[in-house]
Amino acid sequence: MSKPTEATGRPTIDPVTTEIIRCALLQAAEDMNTTLIRSAYTPTIYEAKDCAVALLDRDHQVLGQSSGLPIFLGNLEECTRATERMYGRDVWREGDVWVLNDSYIGGTHLNDVTVYAPIHVAGELIGFAASRAHWIDMGSKDPGGSMDSTTIHQEGLRMGPLKIYEGGLPCLLQHDLIARQVRFPQPTLGDMRAQVACALTGAKRLTEIVERWGTETLAAARDAIFAQTERLERKQIAAIPDGVYEASGMLDNDGIDLDTPLPVTVRVTIDGDRMTMDLTDCADQATGPVNCGAAQAVAACRVGYKLLVSGEVPLNGGSFKPLDVITRPGSMLAAIEPAACQYYYSHLGLVIDLVVRALAPALPERAAAASYGDSMIVQFTGLDPRSGKLFVSQEATVGGWGAWAAGDGESCLINNVNGSLRDMPVEVLETLFPVRVEEYAVRPDSAGAGRTRGGNGVVRQYRFTADQSLSLWWERSVTPAWGLFGGAAGAPPRVTLNPGGAGARELLKANALAVSEGDVLRCESGGGGGFGPAGERTAVQVTEDVRQGLLTAARAAADYPSWSGERTG
Amino acid sequence: MTYRVAMDIGGTFTDVVAYDETNGTCVAAKAPTTPGDLAEGVFAALGRVVDDPAAISFFVHGTTQGLNALLERKGARVLLLMSEGMRDVYHIARGNRDRMFDLHYRKPVPLVERYATAEAGGRLDWRGEELRPLDEDAVRAAARRVRAEGFTAVAVSFLFSYVDPAHELRAGQILAEELGDDVMVVLSHQVAGEWREYERTSSAVLDAYTGPVVRKYLGHVTDRFAERGLGVPVQVMQSSGGIVNAGHARSRPLQTLLSGPVGGTMGGVAAAALLGRPNAICVDMGGTSFDVSLVIGGRPDISNEGTADGFPVLMPLVNLHTIGAGGGSLAYAEGGGLRVGPESAGAVPGPACYGRGGVRPTVTDANVVLGRIDPEWFAGGHMTLDVRAAHRALEPLAQELGLSVTELANGICEVANARMAQAIRTLTVEHGLEPGEFTLLAFGGAGPAHAVEIARELGVGEVVVPRFPGAFSAWGMLGTEVRRDLTRQFFTPGDALDGTAMAAALAALGEQGLAALGEQGVDAVRRRVEHAVDMRYEGQDYTLTVPLHDAAEPSAEGFLGRAAARFAALHERRYGHATPDAPVEFVTLRTAALGALPESVPAPYTPDGDDGTWAGRVGRVVFDGVRHDTPVLRREHLPAGEEFSGPAIVVEATSTTVVPPDAHVTVDANGFLVIKLGESA
Repeated sequence: MSKPTEATGRPTIDPVTTEIIRCALLQAAEDMNTTLIRSAYTPTIYEAKDCAVALLDRDHQVLGQSSGLPIFLGNLEECTRATERMYGRDVWREGDVWVLNDSYIGGTHLNDVTVYAPIHVAGELIGFAASRAHWIDMGSKDPGGSMDSTTIHQEGLRMGPLKIYEGGLPCLLQHDLIARQVRFPQPTLGDMRAQVACALTGAKRLTEIVERWGTETLAAARDAIFAQTERLERKQIAAIPDGVYEASGMLDNDGIDLDTPLPVTVRVTIDGDRMTMDLTDCADQATGPVNCGAAQAVAACRVGYKLLVSGEVPLNGGSFKPLDVITRPGSMLAAIEPAACQYYYSHLGLVIDLVVRALAPALPERAAAASYGDSMIVQFTGLDPRSGKLFVSQEATVGGWGAWAAGDGESCLINNVNGSLRDMPVEVLETLFPVRVEEYAVRPDSAGAGRTRGGNGVVRQYRFTADQSLSLWWERSVTPAWGLFGGAAGAPPRVTLNPGGAGARELLKANALAVSEGDVLRCESGGGGGFGPAGERTAVQVTEDVRQGLLTAARAAADYPSWSGERTG
Repeated sequence: MTYRVAMDIGGTFTDVVAYDETNGTCVAAKAPTTPGDLAEGVFAALGRVVDDPAAISFFVHGTTQGLNALLERKGARVLLLMSEGMRDVYHIARGNRDRMFDLHYRKPVPLVERYATAEAGGRLDWRGEELRPLDEDAVRAAARRVRAEGFTAVAVSFLFSYVDPAHELRAGQILAEELGDDVMVVLSHQVAGEWREYERTSSAVLDAYTGPVVRKYLGHVTDRFAERGLGVPVQVMQSSGGIVNAGHARSRPLQTLLSGPVGGTMGGVAAAALLGRPNAICVDMGGTSFDVSLVIGGRPDISNEGTADGFPVLMPLVNLHTIGAGGGSLAYAEGGGLRVGPESAGAVPGPACYGRGGVRPTVTDANVVLGRIDPEWFAGGHMTLDVRAAHRALEPLAQELGLSVTELANGICEVANARMAQAIRTLTVEHGLEPGEFTLLAFGGAGPAHAVEIARELGVGEVVVPRFPGAFSAWGMLGTEVRRDLTRQFFTPGDALDGTAMAAALAALGEQGLAALGEQGVDAVRRRVEHAVDMRYEGQDYTLTVPLHDAAEPSAEGFLGRAAARFAALHERRYGHATPDAPVEFVTLRTAALGALPESVPAPYTPDGDDGTWAGRVGRVVFDGVRHDTPVLRREHLPAGEEFSGPAIVVEATSTTVVPPDAHVTVDANGFLVIKLGESA
């Protein structure tokens, strides 16, 4: 237990109590996450885990966090901070619950709604429970979100800090307002209630922890836990050679002007046990919806950092202390009003991959070649003739991941931006929506060649069984998944409407394009990059890929010149 | 003399428990498992409790054959036959990942290589209507590949077979014609009659992969028992917690996958009934494992799907949650802080005190340092522990963290107990229940050593150590029922529900189930069926299983409203909120056919005579940082009605119970140790 030391007068704490409290805080965050995911209404939350939760102390420091979506890392506290900045500390009242989705505060698109509640014990503010989750529709000009919006005002309901519960009772006026703005009020309010239940779980757990150990001991444990995390991360960074590391890539376009790629550069400086990521050298905020608030650019840098520095180690207020991120207001990565933000994440996926690429020379064992990119959204909406009801089907597409020093990249795997999203089963999709899947298969020959090769992308071919409208947001054709250390890039993505026919049309982005019953849409996602020269891959490995049908013999001969047919050895 | 016998054939030991029908007494024994010829170990164990197999009136066992074949990747060579265009559904595996910050992520290595997947033309739509007929030539071509390339099993998984199995059935027929009995053919709709093609395919592949091994094993065991004069069918424990006879298990081998450990949960059900407690947390802690399961309202907590070594399975299974690594969890420092687990010393090298080359400190080593495990009486005296090795393992870490070895040992146990307790709390809370509403039932070799401290962390007031804690899974198998589970997809929005059709479908499932019990030899008066339907709010994916009164209920007036209300109440309890007016959907019908075994009448517990050799034995055991003189008692010597307060250590052949100073023990009429925690808890 804690006792004041003679030297400082601050309480010290033994490592056993610290560890028990650390585990309790982590479990509290897990319990919040479980509550949210298990009680959410819409698959975006329970399947895609497009959500994150955090337990904060009264000074907005993260006590425990659990994230379904890596790019929500460590910025939920921006919402409680912003609220306090606007209304002062006295605004926090017991039994209140707040909501916020402003892109320029939270960093993401309006669909990502943060719900947060102050936690009081014996009348004293002790912390906050917060969750962020993706709501399926915010009343934007097109159902589910537009691919061609040019200001945030086309993207739906935008909320600054707004109270939705007061003294434990629902604020009916606000609930009514939300219900009238969104296209699917029932599931949307259901998801909101799941987030409220999540906040209550967090409040209950933190209250138990405070009642058991007291605020003094909790504070001492918190300081010790943060110090452990910071120490660990500084040690990892100190092991990286000092220097400036840089990598650049291109976003295909902003969804409006399809011919102009948008550059992104990440400049990483390692100086002793500190790391700085400078994002100032990127395109200005764009006309189309590819912008994000600075908070989200910081989060993407943190994901890249975590992939290389701290892996699966749990997050807390000590995390990311050694990391500084520099953004440029008015740029695509630190957008200001009224920039459109609906597709705020494509360049975030790019930033994550670029952080890894930049640091690859310093961390060749930990790095990996690039993956196929981000969501690769396929969205259908319309009236289902079977039920007469409006439907929205939104799917992300899996693809190939990059190779690394000791292994081939995985094939047909969801990307960093989409967290742990599971694909939509064909049987569920066809039952719920007027569409048929004709093929769902590995895309052979899409992997980047190398000593270790990338993973293959996927083929998903749809046939529409009713007239409807199609939206697409596919990326990474200008800079497809690059290789590392001499490895080749993976194949870029390709989407074709009515392939093989006279009206065949290739397109990667589309907003509400009318398609007819019988039309076919063939989607082929990119492969991952290779690692090391292809000439160093063994003939046995190449032959095995040919045998498994992952590589055609013709392509094997082209990619691996030393390989000569179906021999072993 | 007639006996009911249950046997849990584990990786290391075979446990056997026999119930004597003539006098109601139970005996337990243990023999090493003999992996080369299992029958040898089985009969060695059996010989310790029953002289003549002909005197056995009922024989049930749990087997890990299927699970081992899976874990060791020693299953069949499977050819997978899929619908046209869908050959990669199994390899794509829904494309998700379970580690978010791993650039080197790989999915579990599939049990079927990609080249061993084939496609057959033919397609149904979502209603089961045929869009294209089955390409029978493609099925025959697959059969030729099986023969030519030496595959030993075939899994067939076609889209929408759960709506209309005609194509799968025809493919099965062709494969049987072409391949005869030598090759096992599995049809996905028969293993899992539910939607979601990846999960159903994975279930079918697991059945095909483990099936031939399980079949061969069951054939062997049945033959050997028959040779020895066993006159009753061999019964097998299923993952659902019910039993089936070996004949049926051979046709659905997958259902035996978790056969062994679920016996513990079913023992929990039986023990909770004897104690008159509705809810129990079953804690099964071995040297290097820690499994938790729940009994709620007198029933085992069963899910309709789960995973096996990373692969999904759609079948009813008792929820066993593996938490950390129990006694094998390693302690270490990270960033200057203490950590315990999840990394484990495993069985090899194991804890340092095992003397098998382990040098890093584990939870078991900490227990030894604290005197909570008697080094001379570990595993019933079969193993002696190296106390000095345990001290040596803790010393460097204690120095690094600025603690004494005893403080560290105490700390390791406290952290381990806190983590186990937190994980258990999450489980109960997921069911809408606080831990205080449960009794904690502790078994396995190490469970009773940690149980009281875990209970204290949880706010549970009562811990029970049943009889035969080391052979509890076997004991539990004696108290189960024959069980057959049937499912049928019945997807419909609530407002489009055809109640008559649902009632007819349930009635058909019920008849199938009752007939299946008949095949199992269950008397008509002992057969019953339970019906339920999976429901959700429109737009949700997860379902909750809502019990129905009977098969006819859906056809009654006002059923939709009643079902929706029942669902909303469950939703409220499980998730803390509900939307009573929101539209609901029905997804899957579930029918369980249950056949009760003849009742057993346990005789009152009588202890072995106290031979006086243990009188006055005292250990020096650390509780709350202080060493206490602590009596060491032999469990076999404690009579029913005996009461004592902690501190105490109770040892028996297969387990050790640690009773801290503020706990109070009563030996109840069943011989169970009932431990009440002090007010200070």
